Amino acid sequence: MKAARPAREDLTVAERHQQKTTKTTAFPYGVGIFLCSLALPGLLVAAEGNRVEKTFEAAPTPRVTISNARGLILVRGWDKQQVHIVCSVMSPRVEVDSEVIPPSGPADKVHFSTHILDPLVSGKDQTADYSLDVPMGTDLEIRDTQGSVKIEKLQGDDATVETVGGVIVVSDFTGHLFVRSIGGNIDVIRAAGRVEAYSITGDLHFVSPATSKLRATTTSGRILFEGDFPDGGDYSLSEYSGDMDIICPPSASFELNAKTDRGKLENQMPITIRHQPATPLSSANSLFGTHLTGKATVSLKSFSGTIRIRQR
Amino acid sequence: MDDTRRHRTAECDRCELELEAYMEGEARPFVLAHVRECVFCKVVSEDLQALRTAAGELPLEEPSPAVWANVRAQLSAEGTFAEKEGVWSWIWQLDLLRRPVPVAAFACMLVLGCWMTAPRNYPQSEASASLAASGGQPVAVRSMAFVSGGTSLEQVVRELEEAFKAREGSLAPDVKATYENSLSSLDVSIRECNDSLQREPGNSLAHEYLFAAYSQKAEVLSSALDIDEGR
Repeated sequence: MKAARPAREDLTVAERHQQKTTKTTAFPYGVGIFLCSLALPGLLVAAEGNRVEKTFEAAPTPRVTISNARGLILVRGWDKQQVHIVCSVMSPRVEVDSEVIPPSGPADKVHFSTHILDPLVSGKDQTADYSLDVPMGTDLEIRDTQGSVKIEKLQGDDATVETVGGVIVVSDFTGHLFVRSIGGNIDVIRAAGRVEAYSITGDLHFVSPATSKLRATTTSGRILFEGDFPDGGDYSLSEYSGDMDIICPPSASFELNAKTDRGKLENQMPITIRHQPATPLSSANSLFGTHLTGKATVSLKSFSGTIRIRQR
Repeated sequence: MDDTRRHRTAECDRCELELEAYMEGEARPFVLAHVRECVFCKVVSEDLQALRTAAGELPLEEPSPAVWANVRAQLSAEGTFAEKEGVWSWIWQLDLLRRPVPVAAFACMLVLGCWMTAPRNYPQSEASASLAASGGQPVAVRSMAFVSGGTSLEQVVRELEEAFKAREGSLAPDVKATYENSLSSLDVSIRECNDSLQREPGNSLAHEYLFAAYSQKAEVLSSALDIDEGR
């Protein structure tokens, strides 16, 4: 495919709001109120200057990427064939750029990136908050170093979300979801398709997944899984030292392979124990068996954390 | 690297597209001309060339089918190589050519990983002797302790750590704290797994977690070196 020259567009209008100083000597309260009433519209204008709203016509299954340093990124699926963005920045020295490919006609790709224009801008002043509505079938890639990412009601193709310390919450997503936060927590609620979730110190929380495949790993965070294991599903959850809680309904049908080296394994489900593959672990630390007819495959692993399997 | 990245041009994009073919030996005069002018692309090109040379110098040893079967089973159990498509799509998501330092580190890890799992005529170590004596399962992923020759994943991680130390001063305090917490958590798991393996060399779960901890540490460090804070 011939590479199209991206259209570069500055989204933010960084306006500096200059405030006139007025000297007052008499009637301090009245003057104060008067000044406030003058200042208010100015503040609103300044706030408006740091907020931008845009809409792009999109091709079917467009690719949308966002690269941000701090701030909340909220992405929702909608039934229009458009990418709609509302963005606000904390400082006028922070700018959000967009690249649309191709530059005219429905966009195959839309890239948003936050740029810190002044190296002296630090901390919360680097914040850029994004709110996007994207068409169903959007291929999404989000990198938000220290910000949170929320994806809601999106039937996507592929979604990749990576943060360093930010929280990631994905609800009602269908497709292939790859989420990774080095130190932030990850919540995946009612996802369908294939899910991969990785963290080092963050907690992983899965609620009512309808995924065919789930891979989840954290080192010192904990894992909480609440829901059923759909027939034929393949679930692999692993953590090193955090605890793992599996809470599933009595109707869940799964084949279980659970093991922990130094931790404990507490099971409250009526599992039919099957032959154990040769393992150096004692039966107190491992469990192989089936619940009902064993339609889903569930692998739970921990090194020093406790694994609890409970009935809802 | 940041400076060069800021000045990335359309020529860099073209160079990136043609670089693979150039590395395969095709005549690509544009690449040759561009790397003379662009520091970033020159570094990428040199890194790839160095990797190619280093890989070419490694001895070619064909492991037995049993070893591959064990490796596959182990990684499959971990979920690491569950699906061919998943691994490749993940690799491509890394946007490789724009990140020469982490790519070089990962490539080294891969080469070393293959090297580590290949059968060799080691003098039988105490660990493998005790494994044989206990009749335990053969362990697919060899512990770092079994690697001889002075180079190991441990060493790659150490080098990444040094690079991280040089970079960490430029990170925002909260970002730096997140990385440090994660690295400290991984260090704990590495230490505990090593302790377990000292006591119980046949502990396959400890082997698995040790390998995973080193790999994750390399990933975290690479991520820290590659982080773009919007500047």
